[in-house]
Amino acid sequence: MKKPSEFKNYKKEIMGAAHDDRLRLALSRAIKSFRANVKNALEKFPHTLKMAEEVREIKEKAIPQMEKLARQAIEAIEENKGKGYIARTADEALEIISDLVGTGKLIVKGKTMTGEEIGLREHLEEKGNEVYETDTGEFIIQKMGSKPMHILSPAIHIPREDVARLFSKVMGQEIAPDADIAKMVAAAREFLREKFFQADIGISGANVVAAETGTLFIIENEGNIRLATGAPPVHIALVGIEKLVPAINDAYKVSEVTWRYANYTVPSYVSLVSGPSKTGDIEKVTTYGAHGPKEFHVIFLDGGRTELARHPVLKQALYCLRCGACLYECPVFAVTAGHFGDKYFAGIGAVWAAIINKDLEKAASIAYTCLTCGRCRQRCPMKIDVPEMIIELRRWLAEGD
Amino acid sequence: MESELVPPGLTYLADNIISSQNILGVTKEQSARWAQNLNLPRQAETVFFAGCGYQYSSQLEVLMSLIRQIDKSVIGAELPMRFARFQKKLGLNLPGIYSNVVAGGASSKVPPLEAAIKVLRSFGIEPGYLAEEEPCCGAPLYHAGLHKKFAENARQAYQKLKSFGVRQVISIVPYCTNAIQKLFPQYVEGYDLEVKHFLEVVDENISSRELRFPRQVKVTYHDPCQLVRYLSLVEEPRRILRAIKGIELVEPDWTKGEWATCCGGGGGFETVFPELSQVLAVNRAMELLETGADIIATHCPGCVMQLKEGLRELKVDGVEVLDLSQVIAMAIET
Repeated sequence: MKKPSEFKNYKKEIMGAAHDDRLRLALSRAIKSFRANVKNALEKFPHTLKMAEEVREIKEKAIPQMEKLARQAIEAIEENKGKGYIARTADEALEIISDLVGTGKLIVKGKTMTGEEIGLREHLEEKGNEVYETDTGEFIIQKMGSKPMHILSPAIHIPREDVARLFSKVMGQEIAPDADIAKMVAAAREFLREKFFQADIGISGANVVAAETGTLFIIENEGNIRLATGAPPVHIALVGIEKLVPAINDAYKVSEVTWRYANYTVPSYVSLVSGPSKTGDIEKVTTYGAHGPKEFHVIFLDGGRTELARHPVLKQALYCLRCGACLYECPVFAVTAGHFGDKYFAGIGAVWAAIINKDLEKAASIAYTCLTCGRCRQRCPMKIDVPEMIIELRRWLAEGD
Repeated sequence: MESELVPPGLTYLADNIISSQNILGVTKEQSARWAQNLNLPRQAETVFFAGCGYQYSSQLEVLMSLIRQIDKSVIGAELPMRFARFQKKLGLNLPGIYSNVVAGGASSKVPPLEAAIKVLRSFGIEPGYLAEEEPCCGAPLYHAGLHKKFAENARQAYQKLKSFGVRQVISIVPYCTNAIQKLFPQYVEGYDLEVKHFLEVVDENISSRELRFPRQVKVTYHDPCQLVRYLSLVEEPRRILRAIKGIELVEPDWTKGEWATCCGGGGGFETVFPELSQVLAVNRAMELLETGADIIATHCPGCVMQLKEGLRELKVDGVEVLDLSQVIAMAIET
């Protein structure tokens, strides 16, 4: 390796995690309950398997025409009186969002992996804004100054006692280490409640977007995203361009498969957002900014995805629904959590590190940590062949194009 | 040009394959000793492909325990990665150590391979064996990303097999089987070789035999990744184990068949992450121990080594790791 010390640090981090008994305990519990839940969800709704095959076809057709779908979506969003943008690079996305946000603002944020990918929160904070993560897990991570360790459950590696200690410090009210988890959740709710209504801007991602109507589908259980995208006067959404599918019916199928493999029979909330809030109740005159946001901005991020889509093997990474199921099947992830990864985790994370984040050292570290055992592929609703991608990526790293 | 992004642990294996046609860089004579009293014909249409993993299993155990010690020691986590260089620095003569291991006596025996031959013979199958002429399948080159070298090796290995008039191969190491059966055709023009895995042959012939294990035992089966998720041999090992009287097959609830957990020794992973590989071996061993089995059967030299290591770390006595070929051979003998 070019810089062996970098790999050495990575290996040290991984081994540190592997010897952390608390992390192991937290993960083994999570894996067990995930497997039971997903089994139950798939048995209750067996049509999901067939639907997953359909979704794979939808993605295979949509990925080669992402750019066209993005333009179509932007047209629809603007017809709905929102505003749409295509950002070529991460920097461009940050610039568009900074220009919209400005400085000195209070921002409430829903969890977005794409935001994580481009360092959105840190960027907005640097620009002099106050940003609150509102997803409970993400809130814990933010206050700890840590990084997410799972794409759906970012604080998967932190046991409750540590959360109690953290909340006591942050919120100035004592929470005993053996307190009910409900008490901790209530404390976060109380702390964040007023922020939703004071916020100038709400930021979210989206799980899937229907191009023909410009509709964002946002899946969640906590209700924080409904508040963050409903209460403030401005809603900004950042979405990877690979999340686009042609029709609203397609988007529905993608959503259902996503939440089912994320181990839910049905999530508490799915928000469909297509434009700013409006009313025509007074003399049938359409007026924007009724109870929801007056402004609605959607930024579609390319950031290397078009390049990735052209690769015959690695393009599969774009079919990923981010359900997170593969992570629970990875034997390395089971002992290291997100330390095995970069912005995205485990084997598939290597592809993102190489092509999207252009960090070849990191990509090599992750690629050679993958066992290529293939159990992730067994679980994946899109049947993404991670071992095949890893071997191809290794070839690419070892021999070049 | 070869990139420096390939971990040295893997380039070590790769260099050995290129220079000596085996993953350890030792003489081919060492590899063939297990068969010296079996009188297997050199020239035959159907040959038994023994592979590095089994043939050098004693040497590999020495190498791995050495690497693991270094990996855990204060010398630093980076060194096993640069094993070849480190080896020179310390003046370690690994091939010499390996020879001594073999010269030590008992370790020239490779029970899983002897058992496999016994099983085949009991079905009236008399395969050839190329002994020191057996080429290396080169799978670690492929897994390291060194595909040009793999392609070149594949063509040479194929030619070698053909030069001995081979038409059919009965292969036993999962990695080798996948390489020769699934990968070679992608790189070898006019590929014409029938490759079967040992278990397929057993499965086809087993109904002709009465099988009884010497004692009443609970056996669990660990599926090697390459066998179960690459070669789709899910039912074969289970049908075989169920056909043996005296064996009760006990399996983990979830982590079996296509859902089996990797033992932590995949595609050279153990040379890059020796210590992590051991942690994973322990995890898998614990899953299997929960079944209450007396014997953990598996069918891959890497898995055998890893699971033994797992049991050693857990200080478990009274549970044995056996290769499936040995279990079958024991059931035939009685």
